[in-house]
Amino acid sequence: MTSFRKFIFGITASFFIPWLCLIVIPHSKMNAEIEEWTDADTGKVNFYPLGTPNIFRQGQIVYAQEGCASCHTQMIRPTYMGYESWRPDFGKEGTIDAPVRIRETRLGDYDGERFAYLGNQRIGPDLSNVGYRHDEAWHHEHLYLPQSKRDFSMMPSFRHLYEKRKIKGQKSEFALSNVEWENEEEAQNYEVVPTEKAKALVGYLMTLKKDTPFGAVVATESEETDVK
Amino acid sequence: MTDEQANQESITRRSAIDQSARFPVLFFITSASAWLLVAVTLGFIQQMKMHNPGFLDFSWLYFLNYGRSNPAFMTALVYGWAIQAGLGVAIWIMARLCSAEVKNPITLIVAGHFWNLGVSIGVLGILLGYGTSMEWLAFPKAVWPILFVAFSMIVIWLVTMFFRRQDNKVYISVWYILGACFWFPWIFVTANLFIHVFPGSALAKASTNAWFTSSVVYLFLVPIGLGVAYYLIPKIMGRPVHSSQLSYYGFWGLAIFGGWTGVQKFMGGPFPSWMPAVSGAAVIFMLIPILIVTVNQLMTLKEDSKVINSSPALKFTAAGITFLIIFCILSALGSFLSIGKYTQISFTSIGYQVLAVYGFFSMVIFGAIYFIVPRITNSEWPSLGGMQNHFILSVYAIASLIVIHFFGGIWQSGAYAKHDAPLENAIASAKPYAIGASVVWIVIWISVVRFFMNLVSLIFRTGRREISSKFVGHKKSIA
Repeated sequence: MTSFRKFIFGITASFFIPWLCLIVIPHSKMNAEIEEWTDADTGKVNFYPLGTPNIFRQGQIVYAQEGCASCHTQMIRPTYMGYESWRPDFGKEGTIDAPVRIRETRLGDYDGERFAYLGNQRIGPDLSNVGYRHDEAWHHEHLYLPQSKRDFSMMPSFRHLYEKRKIKGQKSEFALSNVEWENEEEAQNYEVVPTEKAKALVGYLMTLKKDTPFGAVVATESEETDVK
Repeated sequence: MTDEQANQESITRRSAIDQSARFPVLFFITSASAWLLVAVTLGFIQQMKMHNPGFLDFSWLYFLNYGRSNPAFMTALVYGWAIQAGLGVAIWIMARLCSAEVKNPITLIVAGHFWNLGVSIGVLGILLGYGTSMEWLAFPKAVWPILFVAFSMIVIWLVTMFFRRQDNKVYISVWYILGACFWFPWIFVTANLFIHVFPGSALAKASTNAWFTSSVVYLFLVPIGLGVAYYLIPKIMGRPVHSSQLSYYGFWGLAIFGGWTGVQKFMGGPFPSWMPAVSGAAVIFMLIPILIVTVNQLMTLKEDSKVINSSPALKFTAAGITFLIIFCILSALGSFLSIGKYTQISFTSIGYQVLAVYGFFSMVIFGAIYFIVPRITNSEWPSLGGMQNHFILSVYAIASLIVIHFFGGIWQSGAYAKHDAPLENAIASAKPYAIGASVVWIVIWISVVRFFMNLVSLIFRTGRREISSKFVGHKKSIA
């Protein structure tokens, strides 16, 4: 073999193996198998994962287009990586004094999605279970003006996803209540309502509930009564 | 043939090569530099927007929201500036090392226009709300074929130059450049096909994305940067590399470990644990070839430290190599669970990318640009002060960003780990670091403006004209 052929063989072989092992094989193999399990208390038969993706795909497209993954993660890590699963603002219930743990995200939680937006940075809170934490009206108001909900927020305003229009007849049920109007006349005659994109995005956020039970026993409450 | 005749022939040959490379190389360098200006402008805006959404908060400027300006900045920096400038410099170095004239300058320039078209559609697409929120693949899905075709059109001529080489012995820089040009299309097509085209596991697409960013760094930017350094350092110093055998070990080490890196970004995530573990191990092992090569090069520089003071090109190259060492050490530290859990999805992850692309690669490319452009234009750089300002401001800025991003990310993740503290603490924790980074981005912007004005001034011939550049080593050169 000439040295050029050896060179080409070398750079091909050295790249081919990781390409195969990290990219090609996981692409087709890395799907959670649907497993059946029975709830010991109720006797009900459940499946994990559910078999169909339970996220609202149209809203996920808007999520990607607005670059939400630049600041928000959708990945709760196990306790050997930290105690974020005990954060009330990452989970679905509990308070700082009496935390209730949400489980870490698993392979099956992203099953059927087109892309798992695990997140590039965590500047804002994790959104894996945000569907439990707020209602639609809260999300719309937060997207329109984040600082009206959390004054310490560094999130930008997504008011371009909302439209200001004259009230025709009755005020819309979707009209936002946290709009800062310039004068009384505007406040009386105009309303700000979500566009289809905003509705889709909030619809997606409401479906983010990545804690489908899978049968194993998971600690949800701290055994210690004193929170450090 | 006498020595003098051989010398004269060599000079004539080099001059012919420089003339043939002039238009394509200058095109790539200038359009890349224009993209760099766009990138650092967006860089400053996105950094401000991160901690102060009220900055430029007009309704019609919604496209500057962090979620759009951050990926747009990265796209302009990586594709518009880094890859394009890397290709421009690679063309010239290949031409010189293979002693082959650039035969198809028009094709290269047309390909360059296609590349710029792709990047423009990409950056505008992201800003206008068609982005994908994927790291380094944030441009709209339809853009990647344009970039791939343009890249292939350029690289084919690089490879043909190699086959037209005069000398049978192949210098190490040629290996690095060929390797980079071979790996990048494979990496790029793989990532885009497996993420956008082939249906499959959503999580595998996320790990492919992380693999992509890391592979582009280790298998394109690092080889091109090292190839450039291996050319410039001996050329300017006028002495051969300290140990040429080590340079080959460095290349093969990069080849073996490079493709395994990337998934450590998601350690502890919903992946089979061997994936981030293997990637983390590869990043740690990567220290071996990188340290071999960089220490090799720094030792060559140390042999005659007077030269570096008189050569801006060498200063930039040496700084770039130093930042590569720091990047590899910090990446290796971040691959350990104990540190990685704080750095993986925090402010530090952007810091790693900026350090690799701007700290290491861009500094080496600046060195190459300061070396190459006078030779292909037969002009001197108009402002020596501009070059010195560019250097000092860049080094201080990058060093500051390393500290700010690394410690900022750790602090931020630490704040999120305190589960019994309110959300306000976690969100406010990154703010001081983001403000510090914004100040640094102003400095970077100023340094890039100085560089760009110097380049434009040279190209429009408002500077001094000189036949031979003062930077060529007076001792025996290698090409």
